[in-house]
Amino acid sequence: MSFAGEFKRRLQMLFQSGKFRRDLEDEMRLHIELRREQQIAAGLAPQAARAAALRRFGNATRIEEKSTMAWGWHNLESLLQDTVYGIRSMLRTPAITLVALASLALGIGANTAIFSFVDAVMLRSLPVQDPQQLVRLGTGNAEGITNSYASTTLYSYPFYRRLQHENAVFSSTAAMFSLSNDVHGFVDNRSEPELIHVQMVSGSYFPMLGVGAQSGRVLDENDDSTEGDHPVVVLSDAFWKRSLAADPSVLNHSLRLGTTVFRIVGVAPPEFFGTMVGSEPDAWAPLSMMDSIPPGWAKGARSQNFTEPLWIIGRLKPGVSVEAATANINVLFPQILRSFPDGKITAENLNRLAHAHVGLVSMARGLSNLRRTYSEPLQILMAIVALVLLIACANIANLLLARSTARARELALRQALGAGRLRILRQLLTESMLLALAGGALGVAFAGFANRLLLRMISQGSETIPLDVTLNLPLLAFTCAITIATALLFGTLPALRATRLDLVRSLKGGRSSSASVGRSPLAKVLVIGQIALSLVLMMAACLFLRTLNNLNRVDIGFNKQNVLRLNVDSSTLNFKDKDPRQQVLFHEIEERVHGLPGVKAASFSVFTFNEGSWNSLIVVPGMPVNRNADVMHNIIGNAYFQVMDIPLVAGRAFGPQDTASSQPVAIISEHMAHVFFPAGSPIGRIYSIGSPDDGDAPQRVQVVGIAGDVKLGSVDQRDPDYVDYFPYAQSPWGFGDFEVRYSGDFGPVATEVQQAIRAINRNLPISDVSTLNAQVARSFTDQTLIAELSVFFGVVAVFLSCIGLYGLMSYLVSRRTGEIGIRMALGAGRSAVGWHVLREIALWILIGIAIGLPVTIAGGRLVEKMLYGVTGADSFSLFAAVGILVLAGLLAGYLPARRASRVDPAIALRDE
Amino acid sequence: MAALIRRNAPAGHDEIPPGTLYVLILKTLALRGRLHGFEIAEHIQTGSDDVLQVEEGSLYPALQRMLIKGWVKAEWGVTAGNRRARYYTLTPTGKKQLGLELQQFERVMGAITRILQTA
Repeated sequence: MSFAGEFKRRLQMLFQSGKFRRDLEDEMRLHIELRREQQIAAGLAPQAARAAALRRFGNATRIEEKSTMAWGWHNLESLLQDTVYGIRSMLRTPAITLVALASLALGIGANTAIFSFVDAVMLRSLPVQDPQQLVRLGTGNAEGITNSYASTTLYSYPFYRRLQHENAVFSSTAAMFSLSNDVHGFVDNRSEPELIHVQMVSGSYFPMLGVGAQSGRVLDENDDSTEGDHPVVVLSDAFWKRSLAADPSVLNHSLRLGTTVFRIVGVAPPEFFGTMVGSEPDAWAPLSMMDSIPPGWAKGARSQNFTEPLWIIGRLKPGVSVEAATANINVLFPQILRSFPDGKITAENLNRLAHAHVGLVSMARGLSNLRRTYSEPLQILMAIVALVLLIACANIANLLLARSTARARELALRQALGAGRLRILRQLLTESMLLALAGGALGVAFAGFANRLLLRMISQGSETIPLDVTLNLPLLAFTCAITIATALLFGTLPALRATRLDLVRSLKGGRSSSASVGRSPLAKVLVIGQIALSLVLMMAACLFLRTLNNLNRVDIGFNKQNVLRLNVDSSTLNFKDKDPRQQVLFHEIEERVHGLPGVKAASFSVFTFNEGSWNSLIVVPGMPVNRNADVMHNIIGNAYFQVMDIPLVAGRAFGPQDTASSQPVAIISEHMAHVFFPAGSPIGRIYSIGSPDDGDAPQRVQVVGIAGDVKLGSVDQRDPDYVDYFPYAQSPWGFGDFEVRYSGDFGPVATEVQQAIRAINRNLPISDVSTLNAQVARSFTDQTLIAELSVFFGVVAVFLSCIGLYGLMSYLVSRRTGEIGIRMALGAGRSAVGWHVLREIALWILIGIAIGLPVTIAGGRLVEKMLYGVTGADSFSLFAAVGILVLAGLLAGYLPARRASRVDPAIALRDE
Repeated sequence: MAALIRRNAPAGHDEIPPGTLYVLILKTLALRGRLHGFEIAEHIQTGSDDVLQVEEGSLYPALQRMLIKGWVKAEWGVTAGNRRARYYTLTPTGKKQLGLELQQFERVMGAITRILQTA
């Protein structure tokens, strides 16, 4: 029996139900007619014959119903009826419907938006072949270049090659440079440079991932076979569309990076964004071209055993477990390191090697800084928006309760006419579902907007984080699930409540009937629950806001106000390393900008704040080597301390006397001076940079000054860093941060500074023009995001709760008009009546707060790690939250209370 | 499809055991080819020497279900008395179904008979 055939016939019956019904009636009529004639023929009187025929046929109406039910569409038909009826009854109370829809759209939309980030950042697998087979070496999160012995996160190129050939557990092994080369390059012979994010990868990278090209080819082992002679790149789909306008003849074009022209050999497929969630390279280049791509991160690293800039990724052979692979890699790791002849065998290094363990971490979801930073905030936000949705649901449940009270007579009538309780329940739930679906649809639309906003909020600088947060299947499933869940959540209780009616009383009269619902504690429970949840959210908002405030006020050692900062990329000028013209150019820019009106000082530097670091151990003659203290090095212009407003505590600043040929000098931070030079003044002392365990020749510098302490990494680090400064005249560095202390408005100064730089050299690309203040704020974007959103949702929660309070109280007051009239008639004053109402509201609020308090305190403890300068049970925040809630609640109760106090006893009593 | 026969039925008129209606209709159509509803009812009653009494109307929901299942086909025609009537014929699926239903009926009846005989 064919199922499809059956379904087809059913569909026919649905769409031609009129014809089918007529057919059925016709043949039934014929049947009765024939029987009647037969009876007449048998000798019965016509009347009796008809009666007999009908009797033998049975209940014709019932039979017809049974027949049409056989078509199987009666459920759908009654659903349609319910839907139409539901829409009509919703339109009859537009205010309620509007509030319900708006709060649902907001609740579902916010949940969808946050979940789309959770999905994109934390859950989704890489769009590559069998991502679950991929693992990466090392559990650490380091990126950069190190030369420390036995690093288990970053590896050297020779190590990668040896591991690739000697391991027995990976079907394929690949490496990627841990730093992105963000370089201003040129498409073909264009004159305007553009910022290109280049990711250097091993030749095995694309084949290992199983990613092919949408046009041309991807990189292969051959591109990575010999050093320096494979100038090829594969473009990302986005860059191809953006910079080459999706030119189909893309393979005839090239990219010039630094002095090398790279042939474009292919374009990656649109869904492939690399292996780092939240950053999409514009182009992939083979590691063989490491030295040619600015800024030339690790020149010569390809042949150096202990310059370690790479991440290593492997694809597990089928059937090999992570444990087995870990065992194999950890046997190979020391073997390969020991076999390198240039390893420095010190006691420290041997000790490190003995304790080194290479962990294997799943790469199924890729690498991500974004995940590290935002996993926790996203989880907190997910909880917050879930609570908001819960509050919205409670609100709608209350609105529906109120409405079902108003509809009590209608429902009672229908029940009296024989509608089953289940049938009415189904109809009410259909209406809830309808509301939820409409809210869900609006929510999805709202989420699309909220997503873009959120992405903008977490993006640093002018580039939006490349993260795919568009609507996808799991997301849609999630939204559908919460939509249905909300409908059940807010629909079930009122529906159950509405169908458990005292029929006689409901039918008898208007107001007295609703007493049964009003007396039910359900509505109050819902409102009190809302208040409890609002307290949790308000507390969260206060805590995160205080955290943000604290972070903004942390003393980081420099004055972040009134400083413009921008980046220049000198790699486009094609200076060779240590080309003196570069220092001359930098110096000229500093001088010219310094002369601009409104500019107080200007200086280049390698770092300002939260830009990574160049750090190493130092060796002070006569002191034991402090292996626990890395010193952060910065290379600066002579006016740097003036620009940053960092006090010079002792000694002198750098000046024209410090040149490439003079004694190398350094200025050290106070903290560093105390720890590394505990006895006597450090001025005039000499120390060397670099660990004695590393292979490099140490660089010796003489201390000439002591500067105030600064924090370089983050505002919430506990102690200032150990920092030393070198003049760029003595330590040439190509890439540059440029800082300008100014007075007056930012806009005109920014324009003038850029004009001045262009006037000196029009080929120097300028990027990321902003303020130091903004740069510092960027370092706690996660906390800013969570503070802003939690405040927003806290306000929404309180607002929704107030609507709930207001709605319930208005309803109660209108129900009690008679009672109030009697009270007044007996001599109660207007204010006494008003107070009576307000007192009731205050009681609910207090109960809500009492219930919410323990939850709030437990919640505060949960988010403590995300706080700064406040504890999870911060009493100020708690008082503020409670205060806001009480105030808002009383405000919401004021209107009904005033209405109560204005009741005219004569009218009220006549009404009764 | 357990056959259940009501005990206290008035002598001479027994209701059709539930569920056997399908097999009766199928068998009737298999024997007589093309019939309309009234004829099917008549055939079942006369064929059982008026022992089996169909609540005649209940034929029609059953026929609707059988139409959906694809066991029978319906088409409009004209009766001998020149009236418009819907005629039902068996489809190949219906024939196959009849075989299945008969097998099952015999199995159940056989089982019941065996129990009744041993008692």
